[in-house]
Amino acid sequence: MRKIATLVWKDTILRFSSASEILFFLILPIVFTFLLGGGFSTFATEEDTDSRIPLLVVNEDDSDLAQALLDVLSTSETVRVDIMSRDEAEAAFADETAPALLLIPAGFADALLTGETAVLDLRQLPDDNNATIAGRAVNTAVSYISRPLNAARASVTIAAERQPFADNAARHAYFTQSLALAQDLAAETPQRVTLTQPETATTQNGDYNPATQSSVGQLITWVFIPLLGTSGFLALERRRGTLRRLLTTPTQKATYLLGTITSQFLVGLVQMILLIGFGILVMHVNWGNSLGGLAILLVAFALTSVAFGTMLGTFVKTESQASNLSIMLGMSMALLGGCWWPMELFPPAVQNVVKVLPTTWAMQGLTDMVMRGQGVNAVLLETAVLLGFAAVFFAIGILRFRHD
Amino acid sequence: MKKILTIGWKDLLLIFRDRGALILMLGAPFVLTIGLGLVSGAFSDTDNGTGLADIPVAIINQDEGELGAALVDVFNADGLADLLQPVAMGDVAEARRMVEDDEIAAAVIIPSGFTDSIIPQNATSEETGDVVAIDVYANPARPISASVVDGVVQDFVNRVETAVLAVNVSLSQLVTSGTLPMSELNQLPAIGQALSAQQIAAVQTDNQQLIEIRQDTATSDSSDFNPLAYFAPGMAITFLMYTVSLGGGRILQERDDRTLARLLVTPSSTTQIIGGKVLGIFFTAVAQVGVLVGASTLFFQLNWGDTLGVIMLILTVAIAATGWGMLLAAFARTPNQVMTYGSALMLTFGVLGGGFIDLPREGLLEWISRITPNAWALDGFVALGQGHTIADITTELLALLIMGALLFAIAITLFRRRTETILH
Repeated sequence: MRKIATLVWKDTILRFSSASEILFFLILPIVFTFLLGGGFSTFATEEDTDSRIPLLVVNEDDSDLAQALLDVLSTSETVRVDIMSRDEAEAAFADETAPALLLIPAGFADALLTGETAVLDLRQLPDDNNATIAGRAVNTAVSYISRPLNAARASVTIAAERQPFADNAARHAYFTQSLALAQDLAAETPQRVTLTQPETATTQNGDYNPATQSSVGQLITWVFIPLLGTSGFLALERRRGTLRRLLTTPTQKATYLLGTITSQFLVGLVQMILLIGFGILVMHVNWGNSLGGLAILLVAFALTSVAFGTMLGTFVKTESQASNLSIMLGMSMALLGGCWWPMELFPPAVQNVVKVLPTTWAMQGLTDMVMRGQGVNAVLLETAVLLGFAAVFFAIGILRFRHD
Repeated sequence: MKKILTIGWKDLLLIFRDRGALILMLGAPFVLTIGLGLVSGAFSDTDNGTGLADIPVAIINQDEGELGAALVDVFNADGLADLLQPVAMGDVAEARRMVEDDEIAAAVIIPSGFTDSIIPQNATSEETGDVVAIDVYANPARPISASVVDGVVQDFVNRVETAVLAVNVSLSQLVTSGTLPMSELNQLPAIGQALSAQQIAAVQTDNQQLIEIRQDTATSDSSDFNPLAYFAPGMAITFLMYTVSLGGGRILQERDDRTLARLLVTPSSTTQIIGGKVLGIFFTAVAQVGVLVGASTLFFQLNWGDTLGVIMLILTVAIAATGWGMLLAAFARTPNQVMTYGSALMLTFGVLGGGFIDLPREGLLEWISRITPNAWALDGFVALGQGHTIADITTELLALLIMGALLFAIAITLFRRRTETILH
């Protein structure tokens, strides 16, 4: 036991012998969690406090209907309306200072009031998510102002079927009265759709919370990569011959491996606790209702990761190979395990294939607790699968372990 | 000049013979590009820019009227067949359990009396039942899928509301304007019924468009955009930072191994040796990005766009990245330090420059991202992929050149101050 404790201490000192280790242990995980979790908006300058997507608007139609469209758009939670002249807007759009430009041409309201189809020009930057979102906001606003217009137009049609209008002025007057009534009635529309969630849910209103996805996903990524780096320790000790020397002392292979693994495992646990703390204090992430569930899942994940690192250490020849493979495998497996993008965005076939990865199970378990608010029972399967991975990786690692 | 080229070429060969280095130089960007392609649906036939497809959703229709049935039809429409995978169920509790157990993304519960709450219950009445709402019971673990389902329901209800409004306004106006004389007022419910039927039928088709939104996406049709055209250059540039760090680290490594000292006793000047080393890093950077561009063209049939633009962008991003590699070498004291800081810089620049995820570069983040060669080069590669030419990316090319020049100037100043410690 004392030997193991000594080895644990030795490896911990070795790992943190360079101050730069703190970069990968804490600084980069925090930077990634912060950036991907949308934390930058916290530090927005005064003019950036409005985080809505800018939508350039050119209004060349001096009418109530054009103004009504602008009023609806200005209440949007996703776009911020920047009204300017056509020249200014086109220059700004060419500079890509905004992803979309909406042009309300002269004659917009006249077309609507005379029963024709009115046309709006929407220019969007290609392949730009913000442009797509801005486009949706314009569609929603158009749909909103179309509702009373549709009603007024239907009203005119019904009236004309019963009794033709004397002239265009009478038709127009009828339309205007109908529109005013429709606008009043539309404002009183009751809520006919509700969005609800299970009581255990930790998110609000069913919204996608990038901070939660980022905190959970980056925790797995950045604990996984250094623990795969356990392979580098084995390669280093082999290269220096210190492993051979150590094993000439009355120390068994199993004792050595247990010491190395325990050291990395404990450091991984400390790292997880720090990252969870960052998630709670800075990103305001709710880590669920089950401390026990969180604990067993994270312990199982740390064991799997360090076991994978041990196995990897028996395949690599140099520290450089170990380090680079750890980064490549760690990032790839984290990405495919749903740590970077929500798994729900993956094609269904890919969702099934990636179940061969431990990161997928770890992410699934954490999602169960952090987003769905589940308890210990909900993560028993994930924990068991992770422990299964750990057993297989350890078995291969121990069987292949050589000191030179 | 020949000496410089010889040293540069030798360093290029040395790095490409290092299997460990090749893992991150070529293996990682290629594997991650494939991974990003898989998860984004670039290798599947989804056309929504993500792999989002076949969203499992339960529909529980307890409504006795035509609106509930119409909503069920909307979920089963051909246009949504790829996106949604609706299952009709009768048991609300079972559907809720499936949401709670993460088996489906959402359950849409259409309550009894939904139609009656909107359309008058019989031909002689204008009265509707109490307002009842459709419940979208969302899975918190699949918020994006649930929001898609919610959007479909909201769109349907919006169309229903439009129809209801049309009926109410039409009837009200008929009476108040006198178009329907008081003597014929008893016909009003029948007119209302006919109008309702007509409007509700329209709900199931697209509304007559009053306002057409003419969309123009500048140079390309976004539905044809291959997500790999973003991820492949993003990954290539991200791991380019590893390569230049490796090159910078090798200068210090050669000092430690004493091979640099041996070089210095040959009839080669310090400038020639350092110049050769820098050229070696530049050659390696160009070769790395060139190989990745070639491989992704070959394996993913990726069209990178204007050839001259691509070549110029590769050269300029290699210059800027080499500048960063030199700066690292000038600052660090040991090869390990260069590699550690280089890896950290690679990952940080990767995320800031949009290599991993298309971060919204706005405000302060926009300014910070501009110190990375990644952001400039990625913008350039994406523009070329979208059909722009070299003339459209002059800002990006200039920015990368200026970045390279500035970094070289700083690195050379530092090198001069530390010549002794760096070379000996």
